Amino acid sequence: MTITAERVDQVVERLLRVLRADQVLTSKADRYNRARVPAPFPVHRWAERLPDLAVLPETTEEVAAVVRIANELLVPVVPRDGGTGLTDGAVPLRGGIVVDVKRLNRIHEIDLGNRTCTVGTGISMLKLNEELARHGLIYPDDPASYPCSLVGGRIGTSGWSLIGSRYGHTRDLVLSFDHVLPTGEILHVGDGIGRKITKSSSGYQLKHLFMGHQGTLGIATRATLKLFPKPEAELSPFWAFDNYADAYACTGALARAGVATFAGAVLFDEHKVAYLRRDDEAYIPQPQDVRALVCAVTYGYEDEVRPAGRRLMRIARDHGARYLGDEISEGDWAARHDRYATPLHGRTKAGQVVPMSWHCEDASINYTNLPAVTREWHAIVAQLRRQTDVFDDWGMFAYTNGNTGVDYLTEIDVGIWEQRLDDRAWELWVRAKRDLAAVSLSYGGSISACHGSCREGEVDLVPDELGRGFGVMLDLKRALDPNNIMNPGKYHLDRAYERDGAGT
Amino acid sequence: MTHVHEATPGGDALDRPFTPGTLTDIDLEGFDETVGDGDVLRATDARTREFVQEWRNASYNCFSSGHKFCREVCPVMQVSRNESWTPTAFHANVVAMERGELEIADVAADYVNCTQCGACELRCPNTLFTGDFYRFRTRTVDVVKAARALAVESGIHQPRWQTWNARTNDRTHEPVLGDVDVSQERVRDWADGLNIPIGGESILFVDCEAAFYRTAVPRAVAQVLQLAGYEFGLMNEQWCCGGPAAEMGYVDQARRFAEHNLADWRAAGAKRILVLDPHDYISFTEDYPKYFGADFDLEVVLVVELFAELVRAGRLTPSVPIDRTITYHDPCRLNKRKGIWQEPREILRSIPGLTFNDVDHVTQWSYCSGGGGGLPIEKPEMTAAISAGRLAKAAVLEVDTLVSACPWSERPLSEAGASRDIDVVDLHELFAESLGITVGGSRGGGAV
Repeated sequence: MTITAERVDQVVERLLRVLRADQVLTSKADRYNRARVPAPFPVHRWAERLPDLAVLPETTEEVAAVVRIANELLVPVVPRDGGTGLTDGAVPLRGGIVVDVKRLNRIHEIDLGNRTCTVGTGISMLKLNEELARHGLIYPDDPASYPCSLVGGRIGTSGWSLIGSRYGHTRDLVLSFDHVLPTGEILHVGDGIGRKITKSSSGYQLKHLFMGHQGTLGIATRATLKLFPKPEAELSPFWAFDNYADAYACTGALARAGVATFAGAVLFDEHKVAYLRRDDEAYIPQPQDVRALVCAVTYGYEDEVRPAGRRLMRIARDHGARYLGDEISEGDWAARHDRYATPLHGRTKAGQVVPMSWHCEDASINYTNLPAVTREWHAIVAQLRRQTDVFDDWGMFAYTNGNTGVDYLTEIDVGIWEQRLDDRAWELWVRAKRDLAAVSLSYGGSISACHGSCREGEVDLVPDELGRGFGVMLDLKRALDPNNIMNPGKYHLDRAYERDGAGT
Repeated sequence: MTHVHEATPGGDALDRPFTPGTLTDIDLEGFDETVGDGDVLRATDARTREFVQEWRNASYNCFSSGHKFCREVCPVMQVSRNESWTPTAFHANVVAMERGELEIADVAADYVNCTQCGACELRCPNTLFTGDFYRFRTRTVDVVKAARALAVESGIHQPRWQTWNARTNDRTHEPVLGDVDVSQERVRDWADGLNIPIGGESILFVDCEAAFYRTAVPRAVAQVLQLAGYEFGLMNEQWCCGGPAAEMGYVDQARRFAEHNLADWRAAGAKRILVLDPHDYISFTEDYPKYFGADFDLEVVLVVELFAELVRAGRLTPSVPIDRTITYHDPCRLNKRKGIWQEPREILRSIPGLTFNDVDHVTQWSYCSGGGGGLPIEKPEMTAAISAGRLAKAAVLEVDTLVSACPWSERPLSEAGASRDIDVVDLHELFAESLGITVGGSRGGGAV
């Protein structure tokens, strides 16, 4: 808690003038359950990350009213959508008010003529697509958290979609949105001022600024989204390789082929295959010489996907691939969405099963640097394991970011035995994260492709990554949030308020 | 503190992929015992310590996953959008209690907000991912029941649940808050004129809600059994199955009721119990075996499954056409808790004249009436909201009738259906009608 009990009473009293009592939550359990996201969390210091209270607004105007009160009383505001993020944007670092937007979950309009829909940002893509299916349409923003993440969180983190190579990522799919600024003013932002415009040259292009800010620049409340015909056919072949080098070469060739229905390719490295063999029945029956896997995905009409599949199969065969068959291919691709690699446990080096949290570290890396980054990242986690069995290496994936094969979302999955976390283990972890980020930057990559880079450790390198751009971030933050009430403590943005004006 | 082994980096087997426990070219003796502090148990109260020790790993399995795939299928979450009332929170609270951050008094009221439908368990990535391989299933329902029991044992009561259970104890039956005269003298009133004997090898257990409120259901069941020539009797002195008390945390009372019923069955010479209500089916197949272990050697027969079998065997052939456009509501305790969804559909498809707009049973993981787990007692407005959502889904299908197979769901669903002009009918009632039976009894709103 960062504000005194009397201040909390004062804030609650003011909030109750604009919200009903059931929209203002102050109990201990309400606060403990809005302190955490799946990102690495120092569970032994849970109490330091509690908000003072949470609110459940139901309209843009209510969100704006709450933020105005907070700005007037100088109380921190932390936006929370799904709370499914792999960075800690939704974790309160200075207490304050969590603005939980889950009740902003209405579908306001489905515009069949222009093929858009307008929704409250508290809706999940799964629920939205259940409705859109009745019109033969789909909103193809498809993260691994598809069943539970919300449209607003996708905006606040500038999300990444598994099938983004075909349909684009969140930034491409969200046309415009209503956004409450840190002062409580309501802004509509998109390309130009239009609600359903996909391309405008009018004025600064502000839409991207209000995406991926991790809640530091305000709260999106209502969004207009681009829709597509629900694809008639899906093809998701999985191939096995007896070495990483061939699998890597094949992934590049598939991505560079320029197939129009191509929605993505995924490369599983040798550590990932070894990890899958521990527990996943799909891979245990595979012969020991299977060392790496590749998957490619295409979506479209039947008569587009069939010839595309033949072309991709030919490319894979030319690279020494062995097709794993329809059953594993269909099942495993579904599992990417449905199950992800969510294990119940990790193992110590000696093989003892222990309950571990899954933590995924990501970066954007150019194709030609993937093998080197993969090697160096595993070395960092191997060193963690040498030091303690609190950590386990669950292998790496690389996913195409786009349809030309230039760069890849690169992920290493690390198991952490959070029940055993203490300050020393947490410090090892933070140092490792900093090291992982440094490797990404040394190869010209970006610290994060999709999660965000504001977590402890990696965040220290964001000024290095962005250079003068970080100074611009500080200037913008100060201009839009004069009192630093919006998600304070994230991204080192406090520097914007230091007396020497570090940002400029 | 975490003991850190100051190893020199690189050059050993850890640089390559390996399966833990199988390293042969690395000397694990050379590594110290390298884990951090032992488990943290800071809860001070003895009951809480015991609870936490039983549920900590189950809870940590959820906490550590951090995914929330359970959320949008949860009926309470769908209407409340309150993250404090999610399966994730119900597990995280246990982790916080272990660490001494929360106490049962802080969270007891939150645990009211669960219908124990089991959808979250099915949708849990831990169930989906490791379930195939290890037959693992997340156990949110058990965690919720245990937390409620801990609250009651700690003297923390929810006012309506406390009253309900006290009155159930007095009258040996539910439903005790309405206008219905609930008493031991009236428990067989529903069977008036059906000439059902007392005792025998097969005993029909009639759920409280069915016996006192929706009497058309047991009347339909009994008459169909008679038509098929299936011999059965009633209990000498039937008490509530005790399931609702167990669901609300009143464990001792639940156990006492179970002991009474078992003794009554033994005295009657029963070999099998016929069950028409999914909630009773859970009590008899999950709670009673837990109470009595191997001593509980009675066969428990779900009437829906028995009827489907009789249809298959040609012993029952519905022939009176029913001119209705229906959809079927999968009762949570059949579909989500027990995996029973085929037999009800078999029976419906055997009825001539029906237009059946079915919704598949997996889609229905996210459907619920809100009638379970004691929710309608403590939070009737939330039950009503959940039922309204269920009826909205039925309305899209342009049906005139929603068929359920669970008496506890039928009261809230009927109330929600009234405003949409959708009739809520029990599967057994519909089946009996198609067999030419004049069912009689009440569907809750009066005689039919």
